[in-house]
Amino acid sequence: MKRLLTTLTIGGLIAALVLLGRRLWRPGSAGTTRLRVARGTAAIQLAVRGGMRYASSAPRLFAAAGEHRQRLRTDLALQTAEDVATTLGAMKGVLMKIGQMASYVDDGLSPAVRRTLSRLQDSVPPMSGELAAQVVTEELGQPPELLFDRWDPEPIAAASIGQVHRAITRDGRAVAVKVQYPGIAEMIAADLQNVALLRRMLRITAPSQDVDALIAELRERVLEELDYRREASNQRLLAAHYAGHPTIHIPGIVSELSTRRVVTSELADGARFAELAGWSQAERDLAAETIYRFTFRSLYDAHAFNGDPHPGNYLFHGDGKVTFLDFGLVKHFSPAELQPLIDMVRYLCVDEDPAGFRAAMVRAGFLIPDAPVSTDTVVEHMAVFYDTVRRPGPRQITGDYASAVVRRFFDVRSPLAQYVSVPRSYVILQRINLGLFAVLGELTATADWRAIAEEIWPFVQGPPSTPMGAAEAAWRARRGGPDRLPA
Amino acid sequence: MSTVEQDPYATAAGLVARSAAAYAASVPDDPADEGFFGPGSVAWRVSTDLSSPVAGLRALLLQALHPLAMAGVDQHSDWRQDPVGRLAATSAYLATINFAERAVAERAAARVRRIHERVTGVDSVTGRPYAAGDPALLLWVHSTLVESGIVVAALFGTPLSAPDRDRYVAEMVVAAELVGVPRGQVPASLAGLGAYLGSVRPELRCTPAAQESMAYLLDPPGLDEDIAEIWLDIRNAAIAALPSWAREMYGYPEPLPLTDSRRAELRQALGVLDTVFLGEPGVLEARQRIELRVRAARRP
Repeated sequence: MKRLLTTLTIGGLIAALVLLGRRLWRPGSAGTTRLRVARGTAAIQLAVRGGMRYASSAPRLFAAAGEHRQRLRTDLALQTAEDVATTLGAMKGVLMKIGQMASYVDDGLSPAVRRTLSRLQDSVPPMSGELAAQVVTEELGQPPELLFDRWDPEPIAAASIGQVHRAITRDGRAVAVKVQYPGIAEMIAADLQNVALLRRMLRITAPSQDVDALIAELRERVLEELDYRREASNQRLLAAHYAGHPTIHIPGIVSELSTRRVVTSELADGARFAELAGWSQAERDLAAETIYRFTFRSLYDAHAFNGDPHPGNYLFHGDGKVTFLDFGLVKHFSPAELQPLIDMVRYLCVDEDPAGFRAAMVRAGFLIPDAPVSTDTVVEHMAVFYDTVRRPGPRQITGDYASAVVRRFFDVRSPLAQYVSVPRSYVILQRINLGLFAVLGELTATADWRAIAEEIWPFVQGPPSTPMGAAEAAWRARRGGPDRLPA
Repeated sequence: MSTVEQDPYATAAGLVARSAAAYAASVPDDPADEGFFGPGSVAWRVSTDLSSPVAGLRALLLQALHPLAMAGVDQHSDWRQDPVGRLAATSAYLATINFAERAVAERAAARVRRIHERVTGVDSVTGRPYAAGDPALLLWVHSTLVESGIVVAALFGTPLSAPDRDRYVAEMVVAAELVGVPRGQVPASLAGLGAYLGSVRPELRCTPAAQESMAYLLDPPGLDEDIAEIWLDIRNAAIAALPSWAREMYGYPEPLPLTDSRRAELRQALGVLDTVFLGEPGVLEARQRIELRVRAARRP
């Protein structure tokens, strides 16, 4: 048994990373979907009560951020770039990044893998105030004490490859400043360049023809995430896209204080995901509706998908108002990439044309052409992913449902298993199944998801189905203009 | 524990978990003193280096080449019945000597000396009598460990400066003394260590017991394929770090040249192994206890 646990630790880590570790999937007992909230990089990204609309004064926000300060091992703080190398070199940074990317599926991971991932995150202490200041100085040209009106040298939260400091800008805005560990990007890049080991390890969990594609995808995603400029640009675009939205709020980026290794955004504060357990179901339903709308509006209107639907990336303000944080993992879709997905949902859920659905799956590359399985089997296997939107009417998303979705995704015994795969450009989309539904399941949210989906589906553009839908429709009418974000 | 008499070696199941547990339990919480080395020592740096598993394995490979040392292990210890337990006990002993307070380290060493007293016999290969308490054998075991720490850190870890190498050899003299080698016999400089190791070479040979036990260690049955993958790298690193004469005695093939990228790959394997080790209960906390002591000592 012990041996097995050790096995799962290494193999699991790697498999988790690509979300293809079918071998490692061990379904949890029914109803045990619990999301990790307190920890995890994203979890950690500081929360921000946000923006102009929910504005409180900068000093008040600054103080609130201090009160929510995460407890960090400052007694073990990394003091030099060499300390960072010792802690995160030799694949550890890579494994940690992988762990972060996979953390929201941790219900699908064995206890041993979960333990290893969280231990690895725990093993990285924050930077000392001096080291963080040094990075800020290198990036922005001045020490933070001069750059900002107020600067807290002690971090308020950790991030897997950085940490967040609270500050007040010279023009009086309360901000969250995320500072990257020095040298980490270079170390991770070097480890992802020398892929002999990774390739051998991945061969154990993935078919060999997939390995190089997976490594390429992993490298691209991780390197993207290491460049905070990309995150800033995604967040800037989405903040602009949702400006004025009745319930979706995205903190703005302070561009002049953002670089490759430092990203500065408006500070926000609000209830954490864990606190929602004490809220009324009606409030939880509204929060879930906003998260659902955000996910699919972003996909269909903005052709962008935030691949990190981690519970730590939300702040809740009541009445369905949600602040969304952390845009390090945004995938932009071309119309050609999006069309087969639209076709799939349309043929299955609206036109009820199984053959058309199957053909769209083949076009997307999910299913090999001429697979010797019946179309009924294909539909039966895939239907669980569309379960919430195939029929109208209110429907509660439970932890059981979320687990079932994940189990199906990893089901090697399915008659379809050998004929399906997830093409590279869609890997990130599986996070809808693996992450979004886990979050909605945790909220035990009820809504007429089909009716909301019809509002959003570009081939239906249904009428508002809820008060929030009506407010959103009014917002969309107001904002006008092209919906699509530049990629 | 072992019911597999017909099978000469028990499986290696639980190697990481048991070594980790032994290590974590041996790093004290609130020691009365800083032990025989202390937070500023090179010994602490070497034993906490990422490369230390490779150093340990390389040391075992060298130690086994002494027929009398090997015979003692082969004929007396529970090595065949419980190799994992034996390795875990060794890692516990090393952690105790390094990090425990002096009284605890002395008690652990006394226990080892007592066990050694009972280990005597005649080596069937050379026909020579042996005793585990023989300072000559203990010195061989000691010296190979010290040299391996230096060699392996230079290849796969954080290399020691020339003065630190000498300092490390000198610091470690007390470890040999603890198990019963008179201080005067223990090399106290790098040059002395090299001369000593060279002087023992004529006695070395690869006996069947050495061949068999090291074959077990290099490819431990019962390790799952995933960790076996990493273990292959660890053991290849240890073999690459051996002197070529030792590789020839065993008949191991020449290792791949240690190019920069090969070395990086082996370091990655060490990092993954360390990550797994870190995932075991208590290991992170044990390391944090050590780090806090190092920091406290650094404070003016």
